[in-house]
Amino acid sequence: MPNKTPIPDEIYLLCILHNVGATSPERALTFEEILRWTAMEPPKAEQNLNKLVESRYVEVKEVLGARKYFITVDGIRKVLSMYS
Amino acid sequence: MNICMITWEYPPRIVGGIARHCSGLAGALAKLGHSVHIVTLDFPGAPSYEEIEGVRIYRTPIELGHPNFIVWTLIFNHFIEKRVAMLSRDVKFDILHAHDWLVAPASIASKHYLRLPLVSTIHSTEVGRSHGLHNPDSYLIDGVEWWLTYESKRIIVTSNAMKREVEDHFHLPSEKIDIIPNAIDASKYNIPVDRGNVKRRFGIDPSERIVLFVGRLVPQKGVEYLIMAAPKIVERHPEARIVIVGDGWSKDYLLSLAASTGCQHKITFLGFISDQDLIEIMLSSDVLVVPSIYEPFGIVALEGMAAGIPIVASNTGGLAEIIEHDRTGFLAYKENPDSIAWGVNRILSDPGYASWLVQNAKRKIREVYSWDAVARRTIETYERALRE
Repeated sequence: MPNKTPIPDEIYLLCILHNVGATSPERALTFEEILRWTAMEPPKAEQNLNKLVESRYVEVKEVLGARKYFITVDGIRKVLSMYS
Repeated sequence: MNICMITWEYPPRIVGGIARHCSGLAGALAKLGHSVHIVTLDFPGAPSYEEIEGVRIYRTPIELGHPNFIVWTLIFNHFIEKRVAMLSRDVKFDILHAHDWLVAPASIASKHYLRLPLVSTIHSTEVGRSHGLHNPDSYLIDGVEWWLTYESKRIIVTSNAMKREVEDHFHLPSEKIDIIPNAIDASKYNIPVDRGNVKRRFGIDPSERIVLFVGRLVPQKGVEYLIMAAPKIVERHPEARIVIVGDGWSKDYLLSLAASTGCQHKITFLGFISDQDLIEIMLSSDVLVVPSIYEPFGIVALEGMAAGIPIVASNTGGLAEIIEHDRTGFLAYKENPDSIAWGVNRILSDPGYASWLVQNAKRKIREVYSWDAVARRTIETYERALRE
């Protein structure tokens, strides 16, 4: 669709988390892993992740002191809305 | 008949109309005595295998990922294809049925190694969804859609508008395409609800009248035109509240658009809600607006008709076939907030007119859009594919 508004950065990040399979706590990714997949600048990635967590599209879990991120059911639906 | 249905979307993985279509059709086929196997993708919380009312559902995990969407679809198709291959050791399938381009590679490969006829339902096209082809991914998706129609023995579309689109764009022979509409289980809407309680539960005052939108918040659904119509609706009917159900990537834009109308306090975004909540909010609404700019069918219009809500829909695609203007609903000009406001205001102002639309719509649902009828016609298509 020739969109009147560009896809927001955080939605782009959400799509990548979905497509690489970070869709459950067992497959959650660390911040460093997310940076590798997305090639985003760390401050931008952090800002977008915070937005996604705040909107409940992404959840964070602590594993051995490391924060890991995965997308929620609502996050999956948000991503799929682009593709269906 | 042993039917293998391949779809990327199946409840609880509900995105658009495909999941609802597949589950309705599969259930009705099973009721007719056919053995239906659904091969689909996994979803958090859903079992990898389950049987629901005779339909066997196999949810396939995607064990690898890639940031690029197209690469991701090719990867999940591999896992779906593997699942079909494993199943075919135990089940002698008679026919394969694919839903949309997302499962084309797995469906086409399965057709060749199982030597079975492939029937495909084309729910929409990339060129229609995107209003043209604007980037390399779109060109590829368009090519895959053509490839799926070419490899399929028969094509099912849900409306005349889609038949024209598929025939013209992919240069398909008309005889290869069957029009079988979507359907709905109208009995789900025969439940008593306390409209006041339902409204309170969603933070809506019981005295307010709900003007409802249900769908994905993406440009093709045209939600922005309803939001732009809001001031004209609220000016005439201060008791109206625009309620938007659904989520999607355009949500932030729509929120800012709502803020710019000056009647943001009259527009509520509910996000994604459960099926049960959706039925209850529909039964508590006064008008359903379907302002799509591209809609091959528009199953939400059937849901509204079954729930007994008068409908204002864009005069486009499948909606223009489901809705008879001034008889089963109000057809508004596409992308036209004034026309939407006019239709909504007429329905809210004239209870006799609203009731006339609802009675006619309910009758049409009973006569035309039942899953039993759709399943029987689908079997006819399978039989033709087997014969040809």
